[in-house]
Order: sequence, then C-alpha cells, then structure tokens
Amino acid sequence: MATGAAQDVTLLHYRPWRGEFRSPVWGVWPIARTALGMLLRRKLFWFLYAAGLLIFLMFFFGTFLLDWAQTQLSNTPFELSATERKVRSTDLIRMAQRGLRVLNGSQETFAYFFMYQGAMLMVVLALAGSVLVGNDFHFGSLPFYLSKPLSRWHYILGKCLAVGVVVNLLTTLPALVLYAQHGLDEWEYFTDPEFFWRTNSGTGPAGLPLLLGVLGYGLLLTVFLSVTLVATASWVRRTMPLIMVWTTVFLFFRLLSSILVDGLHYDEHWRLIDLWNDLRLVGYACLGIDQRRVVPFPQPQVHEAALVLGAVCLLCLTYLNLRTRAVEIVK
Amino acid sequence: MAFIDLDRVSRRFGKHRALDDVTLHLEPGRIGLLGPNGAGKSTLLKILLGLLPLSSGSGRVLGYPLEAPAHGLGLFNPVRALRAMFGSGSALRRSIGYMPEADALVPGTTGAQYVALAGELYGMPRRQALRRAHEVLTYLDLEDARYRKLEEYSTGMKQRLKLAQALVHDPPVLLLDEPTSGMDPAGRERMLDLLLCLGRDHGKVILLSTHLLGDVEKVCETVVILHRGKVLLQGVVAQLRARRHDRYRLQIQGPPQAFLEELRLEGVEVLHDNGRGELRVAVPPGWVTRAFFALADNHGVLVRGLQPDDEALEELFHRVIGEAR
Repeated sequence: MATGAAQDVTLLHYRPWRGEFRSPVWGVWPIARTALGMLLRRKLFWFLYAAGLLIFLMFFFGTFLLDWAQTQLSNTPFELSATERKVRSTDLIRMAQRGLRVLNGSQETFAYFFMYQGAMLMVVLALAGSVLVGNDFHFGSLPFYLSKPLSRWHYILGKCLAVGVVVNLLTTLPALVLYAQHGLDEWEYFTDPEFFWRTNSGTGPAGLPLLLGVLGYGLLLTVFLSVTLVATASWVRRTMPLIMVWTTVFLFFRLLSSILVDGLHYDEHWRLIDLWNDLRLVGYACLGIDQRRVVPFPQPQVHEAALVLGAVCLLCLTYLNLRTRAVEIVK
Repeated sequence: MAFIDLDRVSRRFGKHRALDDVTLHLEPGRIGLLGPNGAGKSTLLKILLGLLPLSSGSGRVLGYPLEAPAHGLGLFNPVRALRAMFGSGSALRRSIGYMPEADALVPGTTGAQYVALAGELYGMPRRQALRRAHEVLTYLDLEDARYRKLEEYSTGMKQRLKLAQALVHDPPVLLLDEPTSGMDPAGRERMLDLLLCLGRDHGKVILLSTHLLGDVEKVCETVVILHRGKVLLQGVVAQLRARRHDRYRLQIQGPPQAFLEELRLEGVEVLHDNGRGELRVAVPPGWVTRAFFALADNHGVLVRGLQPDDEALEELFHRVIGEAR
C-alpha cells in the first residue's frame, strides 16, 4: 500500500505553467505593494496618518473660516468686556488678512504646509522604517527577493517606491488637494500665473508654475527621504535605533547648526549640516520663494544645499549597493 | 546542452577561497551536491544563480554565461551600473527555482500571498501568479494553510512553502539548498518523495545541496562531492560506488554460533552482525559463494539472503573525504 506522502503525490498532479514572463521592472511594484500592505495593517500608522491629516484639514477649512471671519467682521464692531477696550473690526480684518496670506493658496501656503506636514512625516517615517525595509534584513528575506530575476537595484527601487508612497500620501497628495481647492474657488488661479499680482492678494506665481513647484517640492521630499530611510533602515533595522538615528540627523544637527550660526555667529555654511533646512531651501526654490525671505537669516546658497542633499543620497545609495551585495554572500 | 559547464572557477572572499579551481560538467538530471559544512556548496549555488560573480575562471549554466570577475563598486562604472539595473543574470534566474537554506520569508504575509509574490517577481502577471500559487500550494499539500500567516507555519510547512515559491513559475531547474533541514523523519520522507517525483516524473533538473547522504541516495542519480572548495568526485552514484567482490551481505535463520565459528575457520571475516540474523562478511580470495550454503547446511542454518555488499554512498563519501585529508 502506498504511504500517505506517495498517495498525495499521486493524487495531486503537478501542472506545468506556460505563460509569458514580463520584464524584471514589473517586479518593483509588488515589492512596494507588499511593504505597504504590511504598514497599512498597523493601527499606529492610521493614527499618525489621521494626525497628519489634521494639519491638512486646518489648511483646508482655515481658508473658509477666514473668509467667513472677514465677511462677518467687516461691518460689526464689538467690545472686549474684560479689558473694557474697544477693538475695531479693521484690526481684526488685518489679522485675518495676515492669516490669509498663509492660507490664500500662494507659494507661502505650500511652504508652510510642507513645513508643518514634514514634521509629522518624519515621525511616521521613523516608525514605519523597520516595517517597510528593516524587517527584510532582520528576518533574512533578502535572499528571497534577490534569487528572482531582479537586480538589487530593482529591490532598492521597490523599497524606495514604498517609502515614496507614504511621503506623497502625507505631503504631495494633500498639497494637490489644497491646490485644487483654491483653483475651484477661483478658476483663474489654475490658468493665470499672474493671478496674485493682478488681484493683489498675495505673492508669487499661481497656475502651472505653482503646480510644478508643489510637485517639485514633493518629488524632492520623496527622493531624498526614501533613499535615506531605506539606507538607514537597512543599517539599523529596528524601530528604536531608527528613531534615534532619525532624531540625531534631523533634530540634533538642526539644533547644532542653529547654535553654531545664530548663537556663535559661525559662517552660514554650517547650516548645511541641517538636512531639513537644506530640503527647505531647495523646496522653497522649487516654489519660487526668494532665498532672502527664508528665515533665519543668513542662509547658504540653494545650489550648496542641493549639493549636500545629492551627496547624502549618493552616500546612501553606495551603502545600499554594498549592503545588498553583502546579503547575497552572507545570508 | 550541458546543464552546468564550469571551467577552473574560483571564488574568493578576501583571503578565503570558497571555491578553488572548480571544473564541472553536468548533464541534466537529479544531481546531489554533497560536502561537509564550509565545503563551498552554498557559494556554488549562488554562483550558478548568477548572484555572485566569479573571481576567476569561466562557466555557463543552461547556456547562459556566468558573470565575469567584478572590479570596483559598479556604482561608479555606468556600464556596469546599467547592466546591474537592467537585469544582469535575470534570464538565467527566470529558468531556475531557488529554495534557500535560510527561512527567507516575508513576515506578515500569508502562504498564498508569499508564493504569488514570488510568481510576480519572476515576471508572471498578478492574476496568473495568484492562480498558480494556489495550484502549487495544493500540490504541496498546503491547501489548508495557504491563508495562514507565515509566522504560524511549522518548520516542515515552511520548507514546503519555500519549495512552492521555487516552483511557482514552473522552472526547468530547481536549486535546493538543504531542503530537508530541520524536518522530522516523516516530513523529510514526504519532501524527498516530492523531489523524486518532480525530477523523475516531471523532468525537472534538480541540484540538491545537502550534507545528508540519505537525501542524495534517495533522490539523486548523479553526485558531486565538494570539500574545502574543491570537487573531489563527480559522476553517477551507481558507477562511483565501488564493486567489492570480496564482501557479502548474508541473511540467515537458525542458531548462528557454530556457523559463524566455521566461517571464521575458513578465513571469512565477520565485519558486522546485528544480532538479528543479518551479517556483513569479507571473504578470502578464491572463495565461492556456494560454500556459504554448504556450511550453513552443516550447522542447521538457513541462508535466506545473499547479495554482494557494494560500497554505500556514506562509505564512498567518507572514503573520498578521508583520501583528501
């Protein structure tokens, strides 16, 4: 009588597969999708994403709120009884207009939006790094990926794509919604680059140049943060060390550069060690904001900041090249 | 076309030579790669997969040339970087299903997702990869576990799952690195049955890397013995096992003492007696097998079985390794 194993082999026939294989590039998205799937199953991610959306909602509904406030206050003076001091509506209108400059859909709006949203993004990435990337190194999944017809660069690209999706979900996508919101309010915002100068309601370009600026800032964040996160997570693997490295790079160096330049009056080039400031400088340049308007002053040149970011990216890619090659050899 | 054709292939890691002047010519079939730990088996598999470049020498696997010696980082050489980016060795790896020794699982995924992901990475369209994943998991008797998280799989199930991800794209060649590692005897038998079936009935070329001689004995028809990065022996198992005309296996029934004493007096050396009537003996030159029956008859013993005692794979392995030392 046949054994159980032999029976199974006899009963369940092996069936050949005859289909067409696609290019290895098609393997990039499944890598990203799998990593994202693992992240999206975590409640913590959704909590942080919701917190990130609060900033977006503040910008989204802030516009309506200030519009309403401007309308309401233009004709109705009122008293502050506690101080017995009359506040004229014009003062409040001025205050509302100051707020509107941040919320009127100009380059300044998006500069502030990316800055605030970026802070939340850094928290999300620090917590998500080990799930998106570090686990592959920790649990030895790399031989699984690299034994397929992919090169190590396909793998790295897949992981960067996963991080990029998270970055864009928190920054570029809401920014585009804000852009669309302003455009739907006044159609010329979409079509006329001179909109703000013509209506005397703000500074900088509108229309396509502004849209390209927003996309450029988003692309900058996507490329830089995905490459640095993949490199950092493949190095430290676990969440806590990743948070420590992330804090050192983006917070400690920021404080250090501030102390050196603002406190000890060192050369402004010391600000280049603050990578977040470098991102801000290049991002503002994408939006068309004059470098002289960037605070704190003085700042290094935009091309210098871009060079530092490029060098960091190159360093991370070199490390990733070596790291993935080492895993091929030592499981 | 030869399956593997290696000519003086070496692979160094710093000063350590993992493979040293390996020359191999293997035809398709069921091939066992034997060797103690550190012999260079896994390095050879990775070279055959195109994952590791050669330090020196040249070779072809399934007609695809193996990667030439690497110089520099690659990142700073645009041509090399582009080759790496756009699929160096990808055509070769598409023809091979690789089952790694380590777990190499993707945590958080289910069995079906894991195997379908492997299919997609091989280049299968998503829908076909999913359908094929279910087929292969059913074939490997993991049908009930396919929606369970990988973390909940037992060692035996994980091994079968790794085989499933290697089989998902129906490759002509399977490279298996210690496929029965950590499995219980029943699971091991089951796995070996599957491998034998895939090789014998479905025409898969199997390269089985292991240090378990029993696995090779059961599944493989050809063996390559590696030791300290060198190929000590290669060939068909049945031909390599030495024909020993002076040794026999005897199965007897009845009181053995007097019979054994008589054998010794005739110059027969009893090499092993398991106490249950099974003997291994070495006979002197000029011995005729009829003498066993005559002596047994004299002492009231029944000879139930008599066969030449050719060299077992284990003995062959130890002999070859011993000679190398």
